[in-house]
Amino acid sequence: MNCLDYRRQLLTGADETDAMRVHRLQCAGCTAEWQEHAAFEGELRNALEIPVPQGFAERMATAQATQRRRFLGTAATALVAAGTGGYAWLARKDPLALACIDWVMKEEAKSIMMGAMPRAEAEVAIASTVPLGRLESLGQVKHIGPCPFNGATAYHVVLAVPQGKVTLLVMPSSPMPGYRHAAKEGMHAAVIGMKSGSVGIVGSDAAVVDSVAGALRA
Amino acid sequence: MGFEDLVRTHAADLYRYAYWLARNRAQAEDVVQEALLRGWRAFPRLRDRAAAKSWLFSIVRNEYLRALGAAAPPAESLDGVELADERQELFGLEMRDALLALPASYAEPLALQVLGGFSCAEIAQMIGASEGATMTRLSRARQALRRLIAPRERAGGRT
Repeated sequence: MNCLDYRRQLLTGADETDAMRVHRLQCAGCTAEWQEHAAFEGELRNALEIPVPQGFAERMATAQATQRRRFLGTAATALVAAGTGGYAWLARKDPLALACIDWVMKEEAKSIMMGAMPRAEAEVAIASTVPLGRLESLGQVKHIGPCPFNGATAYHVVLAVPQGKVTLLVMPSSPMPGYRHAAKEGMHAAVIGMKSGSVGIVGSDAAVVDSVAGALRA
Repeated sequence: MGFEDLVRTHAADLYRYAYWLARNRAQAEDVVQEALLRGWRAFPRLRDRAAAKSWLFSIVRNEYLRALGAAAPPAESLDGVELADERQELFGLEMRDALLALPASYAEPLALQVLGGFSCAEIAQMIGASEGATMTRLSRARQALRRLIAPRERAGGRT
């Protein structure tokens, strides 16, 4: 190997081969070139490593986990419904509750990826419908953020309760009396009217959805 | 390693790679989000789990190209690309600005090599070029960067 070959190979950025190393150790000029190259590569790496948005990796991972949970819930419930004739939930088709299910299946992962809103801001935004403290008394709030839903701004909450996880859509500007249900493709939803606005609860387990809905109405 | 762990491990570098493709942070984030959703769906069909990292980078690349869609610029051939320093007589730039002045077809293999740690052969396969052409791009990109970051006198005394 000669100096020209050595420097050409160095420029490609590939790892130094044994032949290159043997040449470098015998050549002062190429040793100097190698040292300059190492400094350049360090600077290049620093420049390429642009800052990543805070919490980016965790947000991406959480969104994947949510997708998987939805998928498994759908598959499991479809099997149960087919095997046991458990058709009662599937027959309930309230449009708003169905819209909650559709939103969760299509938009939830993206909503999580968009990032959460500051806690203080969330507390104010949903206070008139359901105080954040009340949700926290039921379980751990894993995510909360605004989202467009049903022609207005709703607040998307991922709530981990002891029995599992549910998604809430807190809708301060959508008043609705009563208690509505829907089921679709293995997902279950209940929409309950609150003193101000309403809350949609969506999950893959009807009992958990009912349990959270009952606790919020109490 | 499950998909969630893969995402945690590589999300930062995937974002950086997407940024050097798109040169735009918001678009980079969108591209990675969509790519990971596609990746999650396809993950069960990935037989060679050892190749998961290059597979993820390739999905990000494909998603970026898909997002460009009809707005895609004409493909750059290696010979047709005019490096930024030849075009604009730039010198004395900070390294990051120098990278931004490089055509994407030069910055991309650099990002794959430095951020992803991929070999020339792997990069060639990912970008659909020959290994020789990839090595040429990597060399020319480094030469151009050296000129762009060099002070005026070292850059050839251009005024």
